[in-house]
Amino acid sequence: MTARRRDPRAERTARIVQTEPRRRLVLDPDAIAASSGGRPRRDPRARRADATLQTAPRLRLDWTGKGTGAAVSMSAPGRGQRAAPAAPPLRVIENPACLIFAALDRPDGALSAHDRQLLAAARLLADAVDGAVVAVAPDGADDWGALGADRVIPLPAAWAAEYAPERRAAALVAAIARWSPLHVLFPESPEGGDLARRVAAACGERLFAGVESLSASRVARRAGGGATELSCAPSRFLSIAADAVAPLGAVRHEARRLDPPETSPDAPKLREARRLPVDPDGVGLGEADFILSAGNGVTDWVVFADLGRALGATRAGSRVVCDAGHLPRDRQVGASGTVVSARCYLAFGIAGAPQHLQGVGGVERVVAVNTDLHAAMIKRADLAIIADAQAVMPALLRLAGEGGHG
Amino acid sequence: MVDVAILVSVGRHPASGQARRAPSDARALELAFGLPPGRRDALHAGDPTNPALRDYLGMGLERLTVLAMAEGRDPTDALAARLRGLSPGIILTGNQAEGGEDSGMLPYVVAQALGLAIVPDVVAIALDAEGRTAEVVQALARGQRRALRVELPFVATVHPAAPAARPSAFGPARRGRIEVVPVDAPPDAFLTACAARPWRDRPKRLSVGAAGGGTGGALERLRAATEAKAGQGRVLVEPSPDEAARAIWDYLQEQGMQPR
Ligand SMILES: Cc1cc2nc3c(=O)[nH]c(=O)nc-3n(C[C@H](O)[C@H](O)[C@H](O)COP(=O)(O)OP(=O)(O)OC[C@H]3O[C@@H](n4cnc5c(N)ncnc54)[C@H](O)[C@@H]3O)c2cc1C
Ligand SMILES: Nc1ncnc2c1ncn2[C@@H]1O[C@H](COP(=O)(O)O)[C@@H](O)[C@H]1O
Repeated sequence: MTARRRDPRAERTARIVQTEPRRRLVLDPDAIAASSGGRPRRDPRARRADATLQTAPRLRLDWTGKGTGAAVSMSAPGRGQRAAPAAPPLRVIENPACLIFAALDRPDGALSAHDRQLLAAARLLADAVDGAVVAVAPDGADDWGALGADRVIPLPAAWAAEYAPERRAAALVAAIARWSPLHVLFPESPEGGDLARRVAAACGERLFAGVESLSASRVARRAGGGATELSCAPSRFLSIAADAVAPLGAVRHEARRLDPPETSPDAPKLREARRLPVDPDGVGLGEADFILSAGNGVTDWVVFADLGRALGATRAGSRVVCDAGHLPRDRQVGASGTVVSARCYLAFGIAGAPQHLQGVGGVERVVAVNTDLHAAMIKRADLAIIADAQAVMPALLRLAGEGGHG
Repeated sequence: MVDVAILVSVGRHPASGQARRAPSDARALELAFGLPPGRRDALHAGDPTNPALRDYLGMGLERLTVLAMAEGRDPTDALAARLRGLSPGIILTGNQAEGGEDSGMLPYVVAQALGLAIVPDVVAIALDAEGRTAEVVQALARGQRRALRVELPFVATVHPAAPAARPSAFGPARRGRIEVVPVDAPPDAFLTACAARPWRDRPKRLSVGAAGGGTGGALERLRAATEAKAGQGRVLVEPSPDEAARAIWDYLQEQGMQPR
């Protein structure tokens, strides 16, 4: 994007090979290309071309210098080549001053966003005192080094899926006794918070629970029914609230594995844990995982109800539907209803008014069935079907009844 | 028949700041009323003159024992000692107090002191015929439930999703007895070491374009704020109903929403 400004005088001096008896210059231009000095020269056209993300439907420019691959390929060769983001250098902490434990949740065997934030919090505390971050978690295929862990204490992988809070706590207590970390961090999630309290109680120490703001010298949390803020120097046991710390950027650490400590296999007191089937319509709309939603395009309410039951989805609707009394008011999705955070939202006959789309902003996957190709809901959808809802619903119901073998 | 002890604390109304019964403790008491009748001991450690304690009596409790101690004392030792004497089959508590330190540690410390199992986030308890073990239902995230079996005695913390507490009635609240037991409690050194000030909401941390979020910058934030989130739009135009149903079904399976 920037070309060298030419300096003819310097170029000329660089070409001189002989001054006696008379001056001689090299004529090969390649020999001098490298040596021409001078200030870098800006080429505004090339810069603009590099920053162009899209030209239709309207021009968009990105001056941050982090343009997309497409933009790079557009630029003239040899100019404006951006270096690919280099992998961060490996950081090895050989002799840490102390250890910071991060007891990760890994719910259902995958690292959650909260777990990443926890590692960032541990990193923050560790970097202030030249310590090392130790991830303590059920084993898995995660790249612990890229997540910011200097050491890993792997617990049995099976513990991620089963409910074994007592064994997890015993393993952590043993690890704490063996390595005596300076801080032990937990996520303040249902499972992580439980574990934190078990471990803190077993170690006979207090837990500073649900840290909302964290720095190396001070932690603060909400107390007194939400009215007061308690703050103190970071105590030994901390649990970190969700979204209190930003996750780490690109880092690379060593992630050396430590041997998990031996624990005596006590018979667990909580036994025979199993998930119970739940009535999807009994679940609050805000916490539902899978929502079947109806709009003004749905007229067959019997099939709609059957479909909800067959798919195990929580039923909901747009405002028009709730106004008409087809669904209770607490089942309304949208700005004046409930903002939902389901993983999957299956919408039949919903136009996708802005007030409705606000309610589905946090949804991961949207499937929309609508007769109108130009409905806003179709634009929002990951899978859009232009068809009559009254025809698709019974077909889907039949398919669900057969378990997918139709 | 099972002896139950309920630990109740004083809550704080989020808007007015008025002392009130703590909602999750009231639910714990409600759960205790649902268990087969045995001895029921409600315990509070703190100020016996607090009017909010009468709210618990108004739910139909005849007697509430208050371990009288000054503000800012650590109630755990006194409560554990008292519970050791009562040796109930089930100890019910709220899962987090409202108005105190609110760390939710107290049930765990009590369970540790008495050497009992602890079950968090309980919404229902069913005893077996001999009253030796109990089947307990826990509330999980996203409205899910988990059942497990635990031997008596145990400590259970009650989740806010447990059945709602009955309202407090004026007559029983007046008639109920508050039994005061003065106890010695050590000052809470951990809490006095903390600085307290009124809570002020902080700006919410943005997940897009935040430092360290990988991709970043103002452009990303602007985009997130101004553009409606667009799906990666696979569109099927006018398929037959069966084709459409098959496409939806396959997609749901792909997303793990339906059993394969
Ligand atoms: C202050 C305010 C707050 C609001 N808050 C909310 C809110 O919280 N939630 C909310 O949902 N709305 C809200 N609204 C209303 C919102 O603006 C829309 O009116 C409403 O969302 C439209 O609902 P709909 O998509 O179900 O109906 P319509 O707009 O009538 O759309 C029906 C759709 O179904 C399609 N259709 C018709 N027949 C069929 C068929 N046989 N098969 C398949 N598709 C078919 C049509 O093509 C159309 O796209 C609010 C409005 C205001 C003014
Ligand atoms: N002073 C107290 N007296 C009796 N029970 C209490 C007291 N403080 C807390 N508890 C119980 O312990 C639970 C958790 O409290 P906390 O650990 O303070 O969040 C509460 O819901 C109550 O059931």
